[in-house]
Amino acid sequence: MESTYSQLAWIIPISPLIAFLILLSVGRQLKQYGGYLAVLASLVSFTISVLIFIERTGNEMQNYTWNDWEWLSVDTVTLTMGFEINNLNTLMLLIVSFVSLLVNLYSIGYMKDDDRINVYFSYIALFTFSMLGLVITENIVQLYIFWELVGVCSFLLVGFWYFKPEAKAAAKKAFIVTRIGDVGLFIAILILFWYMPDHSLSFSAISNAFEQKAIEPGIVTLIAILIFIGAMGKSGQFPLHTWLPDAMEGPTPISALIHAATMVAAGVYLVARTFPIFEASATAMTVVAIVGAFTALFAATIGVAQNDIKRVLAYSTVSQLGYMMLALGVGALSAGMFHLFTHAFFKALLFLAAGSVIHAVHKQNMHEMGGLGVKMKITAWTFAIGALALSGIFPFAGFWSKDAILTEALHQNVWYFIVGLTAAFFTAFYMSRLFFLVFAGKSRTDHKGHEPHESPAVMTIPLIVLAVLAIGAGFVFTPFNPWFGEWLTGTAEEHTNWTVIILSNLVGLLGIGLGYLMYIRGTIARDVISSRAPGLSRLVANKYYMDELYQMIIITPLKGLGYVLRLFDYYVIDGAVRLSASSALYVGRLGARMQNGQLQAYGLASLIGIVLLMIIFVGRRFWNVG
Amino acid sequence: MLDNLPILSMIIFSPLLGILILMFIPKEQGRWIKIVGISTAFIPLILAAFLYVDFDHQSEDTLQYTENVEWMSVPLNQDSEILNGLSSYTIQFNYIVGADALSLVLILLTALVSAMAALASIHIKKRWKTYYILFLFLMVGMLGVFSARDLFLFFVFFEVTLVPMFFLVGIWGFKEREGAATKFLIYNGIGSALMIVAFLILVTTAGFTLIQPDPQQLHATYTSGLDQIMANLSDPAALVNAGAELQIGTVIENPFFLSDTMRWFIFILLLIAFGIKLPIFPFHTWMLKVHVEAPPAVVMIHSGILLKMGAYGLIRYGVMLFPEQAKEWAIILAILGAINIIYGAVLAFRQTDFRLVLAYSSISHMGIVLFGIAAFNVIGMEGAIFQMVSHGLISALMFLIVGSLYERTGTMELSALGGLAKSVPFISGILLVAGLASLGLPGLSGFVSEFLAFIGLFDTMPIITVVGTLGIILAAVYVLRAVLKITFGPIAAPYENMKDARLVEVIPMVTLLAFIVLLGVYPSVLSDPLKHTVDQLIQNIAGRIGG
Amino acid sequence: MDNILPSYLILGAILFCIGLYGALSKRSAIVVLISIELMLNACNLNFIAFSKYGPVPSLTGQIFSLFNITVAAAEVAVGVAILIALFKNKGTSNVEEMDSMRY
Repeated sequence: MESTYSQLAWIIPISPLIAFLILLSVGRQLKQYGGYLAVLASLVSFTISVLIFIERTGNEMQNYTWNDWEWLSVDTVTLTMGFEINNLNTLMLLIVSFVSLLVNLYSIGYMKDDDRINVYFSYIALFTFSMLGLVITENIVQLYIFWELVGVCSFLLVGFWYFKPEAKAAAKKAFIVTRIGDVGLFIAILILFWYMPDHSLSFSAISNAFEQKAIEPGIVTLIAILIFIGAMGKSGQFPLHTWLPDAMEGPTPISALIHAATMVAAGVYLVARTFPIFEASATAMTVVAIVGAFTALFAATIGVAQNDIKRVLAYSTVSQLGYMMLALGVGALSAGMFHLFTHAFFKALLFLAAGSVIHAVHKQNMHEMGGLGVKMKITAWTFAIGALALSGIFPFAGFWSKDAILTEALHQNVWYFIVGLTAAFFTAFYMSRLFFLVFAGKSRTDHKGHEPHESPAVMTIPLIVLAVLAIGAGFVFTPFNPWFGEWLTGTAEEHTNWTVIILSNLVGLLGIGLGYLMYIRGTIARDVISSRAPGLSRLVANKYYMDELYQMIIITPLKGLGYVLRLFDYYVIDGAVRLSASSALYVGRLGARMQNGQLQAYGLASLIGIVLLMIIFVGRRFWNVG
Repeated sequence: MLDNLPILSMIIFSPLLGILILMFIPKEQGRWIKIVGISTAFIPLILAAFLYVDFDHQSEDTLQYTENVEWMSVPLNQDSEILNGLSSYTIQFNYIVGADALSLVLILLTALVSAMAALASIHIKKRWKTYYILFLFLMVGMLGVFSARDLFLFFVFFEVTLVPMFFLVGIWGFKEREGAATKFLIYNGIGSALMIVAFLILVTTAGFTLIQPDPQQLHATYTSGLDQIMANLSDPAALVNAGAELQIGTVIENPFFLSDTMRWFIFILLLIAFGIKLPIFPFHTWMLKVHVEAPPAVVMIHSGILLKMGAYGLIRYGVMLFPEQAKEWAIILAILGAINIIYGAVLAFRQTDFRLVLAYSSISHMGIVLFGIAAFNVIGMEGAIFQMVSHGLISALMFLIVGSLYERTGTMELSALGGLAKSVPFISGILLVAGLASLGLPGLSGFVSEFLAFIGLFDTMPIITVVGTLGIILAAVYVLRAVLKITFGPIAAPYENMKDARLVEVIPMVTLLAFIVLLGVYPSVLSDPLKHTVDQLIQNIAGRIGG
Repeated sequence: MDNILPSYLILGAILFCIGLYGALSKRSAIVVLISIELMLNACNLNFIAFSKYGPVPSLTGQIFSLFNITVAAAEVAVGVAILIALFKNKGTSNVEEMDSMRY
C-alpha cells in the first residue's frame, strides 16, 4: 500500500535541525523560550513518527525509499543521500523522538539555572537531528556521517560544563574511544565499496548481496567484525566501554538521552541494520554473542562496586547493551531490538529519576544520600518501577525482553544462558543496593537547611510517562502475544520456556533479596566481600583496572613514541638540514681563509697552476693520452 | 560576456593595480593603505567567482580561457649542415595561461584565502604600505602558478612567491623571524634549483618541436609550453621517444632522446622539488619554523596555499609528465604518504606550541594528498584535490583564529592557555569546529577528502590504507588535546576579561567556515566541475602507461 | 755559429726563474721590484733573440723590447712611488706586512 506519512519522514530529522540553526544564531535573544522551541521541534518529529508507526502497524506496508539527492558523484560512482522507512527504523524513530521529547521537557526544569541553557538546547537539537538521521538513512556512508555526528554531539554535551577538568577529560575520552570503533566501521565501508557489485552502498543492496552470498566468506567475516568494532565503540562493548561511565560528567538528562536510550543503542541498531552481513558469517555471529555476553556480566559486576549513582546506571547500561548484542549474536534480531525498545524507556526513566535526585541534593555519591523516599515520593516510586523493570521482574517491561533474550540464548548455547542469568542476578543486586541506599533509611548527611524536595512538574511528568511505559511496553511482545516480533522481522521465533521465566524471576528476586538483607536489614554485613577478599573487591571497584591498562599499553607508548620522534625530528631530520647548512658555511670560511692578502702567495698559487697546466698539455703529447 | 576578455590574466595581475595605487599613498596613511590593500585583494576573488560560474563544466574540452602570447623568441645559430636546411631555429618562450577545473578550484581557493588573509592582516602592527605591496605581489605569484601552462612561466611565478614571502616572514614575523625566513628561502631555493634543472632538460629534449606549415618550410623550436611538451612526450613518433640514434642520411646520436634513466632522473628531481614544498617527510623541517615565526596572516597563505603549490606541481608536472615513473613509484608515494600521516600526527601530539601542532597536522594532512595521488584512479585523485582545497580552508581558518587569539593572549603555548571558552565563546566555538573539521568530521570538508583518498588507495594498496586510517584516530587525539587545552578547563586569570571577536574578525571566520561546511554537506559543488578534468587526467595517464 | 738561439733562450729562462723566485720569496718590496725587472729583461732577451735568430727574423721583436723597456721604466716609477707612500704610512717595506686586502 502507498504510504502517505512515510513521504513526510524527512521532516522528522529536519525539524530539530531547524531548531538547532535558530538556537545557534539567535539563541542568546531567545532567553527561556529556547527550551520551548526545542520541545516543539521534537514534538513535530514525534508526531510524524507516531503517524508513520500507526500507518505501518495498521497495514502491510512496503519499505519506502527516497534517495534522489546526489551527494557526491565520482568516476562512475554516485553516492546519494536519502531515507528509507521500514519497520525497524520506524521503531527507532519512535523511541528516539519520544525520549528526546521527554528529555527536552525535563531539561527545561533541570537546566533552568544554567545561563548557557540555549547552547544546551541547541546541542540537544543537533543530537536529535543526527540520531534521527542515523536511524532513517538508507546507505551506509550516510549512516557513517550521522554516526560521527552523534558522536560529536555526545562529545559536546559530555563536555557541556567545559570548565570542569573532569568533563573535559571525559569528553575527550568519549570522542577518542568511540573514534577507534569508528575507524573499524570506516574500513568496513572501504572494503564494502570495492566488493559490492556496482559499488552500491545502500542497505537494500547490501542485504541482497549478502543474502545471495555474492561475496567470499573470508571478506564477509572481516566486514562483519569491522562493523561490529564500530558498534562496540558506540555501544560501549568490552573493551571499548571505558568512555561510557566517564561520560556521566555531562548533565543528567543527556545521560538519559544519549548514554542510555539512544546513541549507545546505535551500535545495536547498526548490527541489526546490517544483519544480513552478520548472518552470512557464523564466526562473526559468535564474536558478537561472546562479546555481548561477556560485556553483560563484566559490566554488571563492576556496577556492584560503584558509589556514584550515575556510574552505577552507566555500568548497568553497558551491561544491558551487552544483552542486546548477545541477542543479536544468537540470531534473535527481534529479541535484541525488543530489549533496546524497553531498555530505552526504563533506563531513561532511571537516569531522569536519578537526575531528579541529584537536582534535589546536589550530590552524586549514594553513601551521602538516604531517606529520600519520603521527601520525593514521585521520584522514588518511578525509580522503583524502573529498577524492577531493569531487574527483569514480572510483569515489568524488562522482564519480557530479557526473557526473550535468555530463551534464545538457551536455545543456542547453554553457556550464554548461564552468563546472562548471572548478569541478571548482579543487575538485580546493584539496583536494589542503589535504591535502598538512596531512598530508604535515614538521611546520612546534613543538608544545611537546604532540604531536598520533589522536583517541579515539568520534570516529574516525563518520569510518570516513562514509568507507565516501563510497566506496559513489554506486553507488545510476550510468549503469548508475539505481535512485535512478527511486525519487526516478519517471522516470530518466540519460544515459551517456563524454566527460563521462572529462573530469571527467581534470580532477580534473589538479587533484590540480597540487597535488602545487606542494606536494609543489615543481616549480611556490607563489607562481607571486601573483608574476606580485599583483592577482588579492589579489582572490581577499580573497574578491573581497564583505564590503567589502556594507559599502560596505548597512551604511554604513544607518548614515548612521540617523545622519541620529537628528538628524531629535531636532531636527525632537522639536524641533517642544519649540518648541510653549516658545512656549506664551513667550506666558505675555509675558502675565505685562503684570501690572506699576501700577494706573493697568490702569485705562487698561479705559478703552481700554470705549471700544472703545462704538465698536462705537454704531458699529453708525450704520453699520448686522449 | 567574458568571451573576449583575458580573464585569467586579469585575475593574475589585478593585485598589481593595488600595488600601483599603494605606491602613491604616503606611508603614514595607515587607514587608506589598509582599505586599498584589502579591497584590491578582493578583486581576484570576485573575478574568480565569475570564472567559476562561467566555466563550462560539461565541456569535453577541459582546458579553457587559454591565452597564448609570444614572449621571447631567441634565434639560434644555424651554421651546420643539418640545421641550415631549417627555415627557422629558435628558442620560444610564450606566455601561456589556461585553466582546467583543477586550476580553477585552486585559483578560487587562492583568491578566497588571500582575501581573508588580507582582512586578517589588520593585526599587523608596522609598515603597512610595504606589507600590503608585498602581500599583493605574493598573490600575483600564487595566482600565476595555478594558471600557468608553460614550464618557464610556472617557474617564474613559483619564484615570484618566494621573494615576498621571504620579506613577509623576515620583517613582520616573531622573534626568530630572520632565521625562519632564511631557512625558508634556502630550502625552497634548493627546490627551485632542482626544478629548473628538470625543466631545462625537458625544454631541450621534449620541448624540441618541428613544425611544417607547408612543404617548403620547416620550423624547429625549443618550446617550454606544457601542453606541447606533454603532447611530445606522449607521441611515440616524437624525437624524444625516437630512440638513442637517428637515421638522417647517416646514423647520428639523437640529442633529444630521453632515456629511461634520464626520465627517472627528471622525475625524482621534480618529486624532491615539489616534495619540499608539499612537504614530504623528510623535507618538512623548514615549514615548522615558518609556521611558528611568521605572522598568522602570512601563515594562512603559507599553509593554506603555498603548500598546495607543491601538491599541484606534483600532479601537473610530476605525475602528468612522467606517469610511467610515477605509477611505478605509486607504492613509494603511498608509503611516504603513510609516513607523513603517522609521523605528523604523532609529533603533533607532542608539541607544546599550538602553531607547531598545526604545522605537524599539515604534514599529516598532506600525507592524505599523497595517498590520493598514489591511488592512480579517479576517486583517489579527486580525494587529493578535495584534500588540497579542504586543508587550504581549514588551515587558513586555524591560523586566522591563531592570529585573533595571539593578539589577545600574547602566547600560543598550550601550557599557558586554558578555559578561553568562557571569555571568548565565539572564537572558541569556531576553533572547536575548525578542529573537528581538521580531524575529519563528516559534514565538514575534511571528511570528504579523507573518504575519497582512502577509498581510492584501498583498491590497490589496502594494507597501507589501513595503516593510514590510524591517522584518523591520531588526528582526534592531537586535535582534541590541543583545542580542548585552549578552550576547555578552568580559565586562567589574565584571560578573564578578553573581548570576543570583532566584526572584522568574524567576517573571514564565518566565510571560511561556511565554505568548509558547504564542501562537507554538498561536495558536488567541487566534484561536478572537477569531474571531466580528473577523468581526462586519469585517462591520459592510463593511455600513456598502456601505450 | 748556426745554432746560437738556444743559448740565448736558456739565459733568458735562467734570468726569468731567478726573477720569479725573487718576486715570490723576497720580503723587501724593493727587491721584489728589482726581480720583476729581471723577469721583464728576460723577456726582452727572448724577443731580441727571436728577432735576430728566429725562424722568421724581423724588426718587430726589437721594437717590442723597446716598448717593454719604456713600460718597465714607467712601472718602476709608479711602483716605487706607491712604495714610498706605503713606507710613509706604515714605516715598513716588508711585503708580508702589506696584507690589508686580506679577508
